[in-house]
Amino acid sequence: MKGALGFGGITLGFMAAALGVITMAVGIQRRDGRIMATGRQFVFMVLLGALVAAGAMEWALVTHDFSLAYVVRNHARATPLLYTVAALWGALEGSILLWALILAGYLTVTVRRLRARASDPLVAWATLVGLVVAAFFFALMLGPANPFRPTPGLIPKDGLGPNPLLQNHVLMAIHPPMLYLGYVGMTIPFSFAVAALATGRVGEGWLLETRRATLVAWAFLSVGIVLGAWWSYEVLGWGGYWAWDPVENASFIPWLTATAFLHSVVVQERRGMLRVWNLSLIIATFCLTILGTFLTRSGVLNSVHAFSQSTIGAWLLTFLGLAAATGIGLIAWRGDRLRTPGRIDSPVSREGAFLANNLLFAGFAFVVLLGTVFPLLVEALRNEKLSVGEPYFDRMTVPIGLALLFLMAVAPALPWRAASGPVLRRRLAGPAWVGALTMAACAVLGARGVAEIVAFGLGAFAVAGIVRQYALGVAATRRASGGGWPGALRRTVAGNRHLYGGLVVHFAVVVIAVALAASMGYTTKREFRLVQGQRVTLQSHHFTYLGSTRHQTGQKDKFQARIRVERGGHDLGVYAPALSIFPNSPQAIGTPSVRTGLLRDVYLTLVSSPDQDGRITLGVQIGPLVVWLWIGGGILALGTAIAVWPARRIRRRSTGRGPDPLAPPAPTTPSADEELLAEAPA
Amino acid sequence: MIDPPVVLVARPKPKRMRYIVAGGLCAAAVLFLIVGGLSRNIVYFRTVSEGVTAHGKAPDDTGRLRLAGAVLTGSVERRPDGVTFVVTDGTTRARVLHHGDPPELFKDGAPVVCEGHFVKGDRAAVPTFDSDRIMIKHGAEYRPPSVDASK
Repeated sequence: MKGALGFGGITLGFMAAALGVITMAVGIQRRDGRIMATGRQFVFMVLLGALVAAGAMEWALVTHDFSLAYVVRNHARATPLLYTVAALWGALEGSILLWALILAGYLTVTVRRLRARASDPLVAWATLVGLVVAAFFFALMLGPANPFRPTPGLIPKDGLGPNPLLQNHVLMAIHPPMLYLGYVGMTIPFSFAVAALATGRVGEGWLLETRRATLVAWAFLSVGIVLGAWWSYEVLGWGGYWAWDPVENASFIPWLTATAFLHSVVVQERRGMLRVWNLSLIIATFCLTILGTFLTRSGVLNSVHAFSQSTIGAWLLTFLGLAAATGIGLIAWRGDRLRTPGRIDSPVSREGAFLANNLLFAGFAFVVLLGTVFPLLVEALRNEKLSVGEPYFDRMTVPIGLALLFLMAVAPALPWRAASGPVLRRRLAGPAWVGALTMAACAVLGARGVAEIVAFGLGAFAVAGIVRQYALGVAATRRASGGGWPGALRRTVAGNRHLYGGLVVHFAVVVIAVALAASMGYTTKREFRLVQGQRVTLQSHHFTYLGSTRHQTGQKDKFQARIRVERGGHDLGVYAPALSIFPNSPQAIGTPSVRTGLLRDVYLTLVSSPDQDGRITLGVQIGPLVVWLWIGGGILALGTAIAVWPARRIRRRSTGRGPDPLAPPAPTTPSADEELLAEAPA
Repeated sequence: MIDPPVVLVARPKPKRMRYIVAGGLCAAAVLFLIVGGLSRNIVYFRTVSEGVTAHGKAPDDTGRLRLAGAVLTGSVERRPDGVTFVVTDGTTRARVLHHGDPPELFKDGAPVVCEGHFVKGDRAAVPTFDSDRIMIKHGAEYRPPSVDASK
């Protein structure tokens, strides 16, 4: 019954999306505003279909309806409620359903927001493209990824339950939806980019329409990536948070191109330049999200994340090819309109810095993409299995990351068009000194590693610049309207949310960069073989093995060691890393026990359970500043929230400041306004 | 901080060619670096037979690879800094010298993938492989015990 209901929802969603595409196409072809306005109604039906399907699946999961094969594979009676609900995105079919649901949600919000312009061809085209994407994902669920396939044969009394790795941390319930909110959100700017090309209105209009959606999607993607790293750190027990695993890369590559896009759109908004580049970037970002789905969900990879295998790969690759071909074809077709009047006057200018930033981000994305798909290409072409070692990624990306950090410190202080020496000196000398002194201090205090010291210095440089801009802004507000510091700060931020929110995001990036450098450069790791009562020392931390317990249940055999951690005479408590063995699986799953601190994490893993002599192997890792990675993710979300928070009064057109974090208040460029006027529906 | 209004001025493009050439050269250099970095960090995946054959042809090559096979029963010897054992794929054998503790489920007969390199110049019939990472091979799909869905 729930299966029929859910499948009905999927059918409704597919039909509505397909009919919506047809109606929109007819409306656009006849230039009939009423037909277009009808077409947009189908978006709500798509949402309804997705809600019914997802609701039916959740209902089946919660009520242990094992007549559905998906429920049998991903749920057991003993599964706690949280992971029962989260089982929706625990496997292939459910995650496609979540994808469709989120896409329907984004499309609904978009057409609601633009309801006054339902008959505008740009909006109509964008809706059409969004519905095509939705139709594809619903078609996947009608065919190869049907989540409501019935259980073959007799209906079992209990299910298999989710993968054990997916049900021992609450982050698993949050991380995938966040990532998907980011991934799927990129469909909106993509739709508008295609619409801009199709209508020939390739100016700045489509950027303005999609700015907030892009920023929101970007923030979700960022937070999703950080949460994924955190989950990996807390659950997988290898001590790290980022392994350049293909699945991690699959979420990171579109993030890189989306970040490049957020910066380069500012140049287009201000100067009308980089049109082709921006369209290419957002089309590439969308294609990379599809590629990411392909990598994660088709089972082509042999990685820790590869939980699913299916025939869906060919579908996704075909769709990826179509999306890329459409984008490239449209750009080539509209080549004549994309030529832009402006040019970069001086490399030492805001637009010059944005251009360098974009080249670096694009290079970064290329490096990671190449390392990720190279083994697949070699295997496909030469039938030879190989992998790309982590040193490749580390060696290639660290210099790019440092260069980006440098640009982040410098670019916000550069004026548009061209910078003069005195201006540069006035704006940058102070922060640069702070950075240089930080580096000197690190070197004197005996910090190891050039890359680490440079990262700390550049981080300090950037933070000093951010503080300077905030201080100048607040001081100006106080001069103008008086009042106390807190009130002035609030008014300053409210006066230019994009600038000050963007600066907060930059600050978050510095926090993350410093935490990355410190934890990658200065982590100490050792393994100890211990008998009960034995005490060992690492970096002035003492570890005493108190004993271990063994819990045997039908599902698993779990060893837990109790370790007392002391530092400088203080008892930091007893920590209990564990190791679970699943009789039918060769996988032993370690559960680390982490003492999180603001300065350093103490990370304990049970490497092997007691042997004949009662000796365990304990992995100890002391990693500085790790917690700031997660805090940085929170600050980043806060900064984006400040930037996208709707400003009072000036709600509509004059949200005109870009995702550019850093543009000073100024009217929208003439070209953008002219274009909007020219675009008014006839 | 306030910018002048945008003025669009058509400019001559005498330097265009130079920019394109310079850009092309930079791109080529970067590509060269990336490909070089990639080729230095490739880790081949080989069965024991493939690995031993390749090592026999070029005994001085110490390229990093992943060697897949099973632990030969009775060959495991614990040492203070790790473990030695023989890995086999049924036809060919290699001696593995592993540094560090093997993973929990390492035992006789376990299917393993060892990452490391053959000892340089070792021409023995059963060559020695220096490993610093052992993975227990397992399928991607996890199946818990005791519940059989279809019967």
